[in-house]
Amino acid sequence: MIIQEGMSIQRKLEILSDAAKYDVACTSSGVDRKGNQSGMGNSVACGICHTFSADGRCISLLKILFTNECIFDCKYCINRSSNDIVRASFTPNELCELTMEFYRRNYIEGLFLSSGIMISPNHTMELIFVALKMLREDFQFNGYIHCKAIPGADPALIEAIGWYADRMSINLELPTADSLKKLAPHKNRKNILKPMRQIQLRRESNLEYLGLNNSYGGSSYGSNKNILFDYSYSNGNSSGNSIISSKSNSNKDIGSNSNRNGNSDISSNSMILVDKGSGSNNILMEDNSYSRSPKSKFVPAGQSTQMIIGASAESDYHIMSVSEALYNNFDLKRVFYSAFVNVNQDSNLPSTHNGPPLLREHRLYQADWLIRFYGFKTRELLDEKNPNFNIIMDPKCNWALRHLELFPVEVNKADYYTLLRVPGIGVTGARRIIAARKSAVLDFKDLKALRIVLRRAVYFITFRGRMMYPIKVDEDFITRELLSTKEKLPYGIEEDITFKQLSLFDDINYGTGGIL
Amino acid sequence: MKSIKIFQCENSIDGIFTAIYQAWSCGYGHANVKIEEACEKNNYSNIELFSEYILIHTDFEKAVKVSRAIKRKISEEVYEMICRVALSNYQGKGDLIYRFLILGFHIGSSIVDHLSNEVVNKIFKINRFVSNEVHHFLGFVRFSVHKNDILTSLIHPKNNVLSLIVPHFVDRLPREKFAIIDGNRNTCALHLPQKPWVLVDVVDSDSLDEYHKQDGFDEYEDLWKIFFDNIAIKERINPKLQRNNIPLRFRDDMVEFIPVSRNSILP
Repeated sequence: MIIQEGMSIQRKLEILSDAAKYDVACTSSGVDRKGNQSGMGNSVACGICHTFSADGRCISLLKILFTNECIFDCKYCINRSSNDIVRASFTPNELCELTMEFYRRNYIEGLFLSSGIMISPNHTMELIFVALKMLREDFQFNGYIHCKAIPGADPALIEAIGWYADRMSINLELPTADSLKKLAPHKNRKNILKPMRQIQLRRESNLEYLGLNNSYGGSSYGSNKNILFDYSYSNGNSSGNSIISSKSNSNKDIGSNSNRNGNSDISSNSMILVDKGSGSNNILMEDNSYSRSPKSKFVPAGQSTQMIIGASAESDYHIMSVSEALYNNFDLKRVFYSAFVNVNQDSNLPSTHNGPPLLREHRLYQADWLIRFYGFKTRELLDEKNPNFNIIMDPKCNWALRHLELFPVEVNKADYYTLLRVPGIGVTGARRIIAARKSAVLDFKDLKALRIVLRRAVYFITFRGRMMYPIKVDEDFITRELLSTKEKLPYGIEEDITFKQLSLFDDINYGTGGIL
Repeated sequence: MKSIKIFQCENSIDGIFTAIYQAWSCGYGHANVKIEEACEKNNYSNIELFSEYILIHTDFEKAVKVSRAIKRKISEEVYEMICRVALSNYQGKGDLIYRFLILGFHIGSSIVDHLSNEVVNKIFKINRFVSNEVHHFLGFVRFSVHKNDILTSLIHPKNNVLSLIVPHFVDRLPREKFAIIDGNRNTCALHLPQKPWVLVDVVDSDSLDEYHKQDGFDEYEDLWKIFFDNIAIKERINPKLQRNNIPLRFRDDMVEFIPVSRNSILP
């Protein structure tokens, strides 16, 4: 491992942004927060893109690693401990200054802080905690913060950081526990899901508390919740030298902050910690004044995760089932898919010399949207017999062609979710149709004005009982017609598809979904 | 056949509203009146035959009456929509708003659902165009830091969006002194801490440009470029997608797309 002393901030930024770029999420959405007069920053729920990098991806946050020193040796990762690369770390102060100066020049919407694992998960999380606390309290930063939770870190640390961050994420990395064991030997599934569950439950209770707080004044509810969230900080080995606990001897007056405004919930929570914690390190909760305000929100923008696509052998069906379960059971806001790039040229992993599997990534995102906004279930799109998405047709068209018995639908009568199932009609389109048909009976020309993609929708809809022109409702016929009007793929993937088509019949990984 | 009365007005929300008030109250019939706002270079389009031109001087009282009527009889949402349309670069927006209001006062707040109506659809589209540009600039505005910690930013928007984007920055940077300059219209928004922001016309645009461009060496501009270059994944380079997401017209005013300046520490 190469560690340079006295590295310039330019060099650090170079190394640590380069190391962070494979993280996918760069969204700044989910929180609406007005600015305050004493500090800098606000947050807009829809998110704001500040620029787009050469690969066309949005840059919204200062996406950066705290350090790329890492004790883990995950095979797919550029920062794995066995790689011989230059290592660097920020100090919390450097990181705060960089964020503030970028922010006031309107380069960024906030900070996305991730990190390699330095010394131990707890040590790393403590550093992150110190940086975020400094940014929020000393620098008065009120913008967006997305922070990674490190698997294996103490729950008390996650609890503490959650009050400073807007969004937290724990990377699932790989869809199954088996491939995780193979490719990331130091991580395990349990350590990933546990903090995810913790954040989910804490958010729920926080929202409940805030809701009750508005109507009842909130003081009576606190007691039973504290039992749920009693995370004492029990990291015995590092207690002496950890950064957070080093502040602990000052032993601030506990009573001074509690019961302000009659809300005892959060403060009494930490009082329990004080009782049970083993000596010095319980200060972690105690001086976390950010959580003291009765209006504080815990991870208000929710949590997300990401999976690497194409590094292991899972099918699309498998991946989508995992995503669906995450959305349903863990209340995730987003699951991100990252096309695998073999950065380490590791011979145990698939080669990506033909480029990363961008089309596959695109299909997964399409299906992800269908599940989140269109009311689809994974089982409707894929099953054991057809475990992978069709490469030449998007998942929704593919589904519609296999369910022609449900079509055509009448645009002037069909309900919202039925309209959503029509290829070419999306969420906005369906809403516009429903709004517009209140005042007029719609016809084909109106749909054009509403910007519905007629060349795809035309096979599946009627207007006042008529189709636009006589169409044979036949799977083969419509398939041919749909394929002749080319699907509009994001730029850069078109080349991918020609390449795939040449090898269509010897590529066993991609089924054609039984439509050809 | 009656000859047509054409009400010529200033290119501003108040100007257009005054003209709407006059045209409405003259009792000449909706079909026989027309509103024409000055276009951005401050002249009017071709003069039509057989019509009478009436020059309208902006009258704030009348304008306020119109805006109050819209808010009360239609809705706040529609009022905001119309303001955005009035700030767009669409020629003939004055008359379009007039036609829209005829429908709006008749139908009420549900007018926004009548998307299959041509006028409503047009308003809807222009509104979306302006809103999108506003949203773009919330992200694409770049401030450069000057002596005395003044932040300046130069933008070249298609629509007159300056007054729509400034409140966002006032809320975000309450303790900063900043100026955002619209280089296309020579207007400038100024903000000082604890004071309401103001919109002013720029008389000497050259010296303002110079002030904005003078390159005091700013370390963070270089750091930002380093970050910008490093965050792209080489295996996924995709200029078309990038151009789709951030069209070339924005890039002249964005530091990460401007080639390295002389003072820079970058090679």
